[in-house]
Amino acid sequence: MTSDLPAYRDWAERPVAEPVDYSVVIPAYNEAIRILPTVGAIAVHMSSLGKSWELIVADDGSTDDTIELLEGLELVNLHVLRAKANGGKGSAVRRGVLAARGGVILFADADQSTPIEQFGDLLAQIEAGNDVAIGSRAAEGATVANKSIVRKVLSTGLNLMVRFGFGVPFADTQCGFKMFTSNAADLLFRRQLIDEFSFDLEILYLAKKFDLKVAEVPVEWIDAPGSTVDPTKVAIEFVRDMAQIKWFDIRGRYSNVNHSPADDEHVIGSADSPPKAQP
Amino acid sequence: MDIMITTEGDHPLVTLAGRFDAFETEAFRAALDDLLDGDTSTVSVDLHDVQFIDSSALAELVRAMKHCREAEGELFLHRLSDPVRVILELTRLDAAFEIREA
Repeated sequence: MTSDLPAYRDWAERPVAEPVDYSVVIPAYNEAIRILPTVGAIAVHMSSLGKSWELIVADDGSTDDTIELLEGLELVNLHVLRAKANGGKGSAVRRGVLAARGGVILFADADQSTPIEQFGDLLAQIEAGNDVAIGSRAAEGATVANKSIVRKVLSTGLNLMVRFGFGVPFADTQCGFKMFTSNAADLLFRRQLIDEFSFDLEILYLAKKFDLKVAEVPVEWIDAPGSTVDPTKVAIEFVRDMAQIKWFDIRGRYSNVNHSPADDEHVIGSADSPPKAQP
Repeated sequence: MDIMITTEGDHPLVTLAGRFDAFETEAFRAALDDLLDGDTSTVSVDLHDVQFIDSSALAELVRAMKHCREAEGELFLHRLSDPVRVILELTRLDAAFEIREA
């Protein structure tokens, strides 16, 4: 069997030249316990694909050792974005995506709950002409392991509300494994206004509003212990945010660009190649 | 995760396959404790077919290594998959374990 180690070692030591094919963005908040195995698994798999790629960890104001651990890795194509304060998962993903230089951008949760080996399944949909490909735990063919009853009931209820009450026609809007062309990412994330858990819903609402082609891809998903998500709190916020997204739209807030990469404070780590040019 | 126990030379070989994470540590611990309850103090763990190992699983391997060493034995890690090897390097645990390539 061929080893992926030489490709990984090369990626770890040699800065990628532009244009960058793929960017993987991981939002992180107090992930010191979980982040290193996730970085390792992603780095080996992505390096094996034979394309240029970068890894961006968008920290969200962690108060543990997440940033120090990542800095200590000295991986030249790992870029760590630091936030001044905890702003919510949506803000971390946005900062990461808008700093990404890849022609294709994936964001993936820090716990590897959707294993990175499914990158290719989403990429196939982008290469088939879609603007966005979203991992789905509810699409036919998906497998879900270890999900608690509470989370199952809540996600089923919320998905029904989203589909039939909100007009976003996807079985699962919240899976933390979504891929975008760089053009789609720019269009959507510059307009994003929701900084917390339901930012995914807003992004898909905007994708529909702007007539982007979105593919829903069944994925294998394994619930990871140590999740910082409180399902009940999240459900309440989700319903509130659905109303807010509609209100933002009615007021025309999505007609304008609301963010740029310049919103990010700074990049640290061993990034020899800078984030993409500011507009 | 699948756990298979065979014998390699004079000590047990525990072959793991799948995702070794917090949900699997209990089964792994039970398998190891069964082996170490007898006269065995040395165990090999084959990780060739493990594609992901999380922090809880790494902690469980460290616990098992300490257990073996307290009994004057050793825990050998065999045939690391590429992701497991890199995860051990990034966490700097590669220096803590006895790793065998074959």
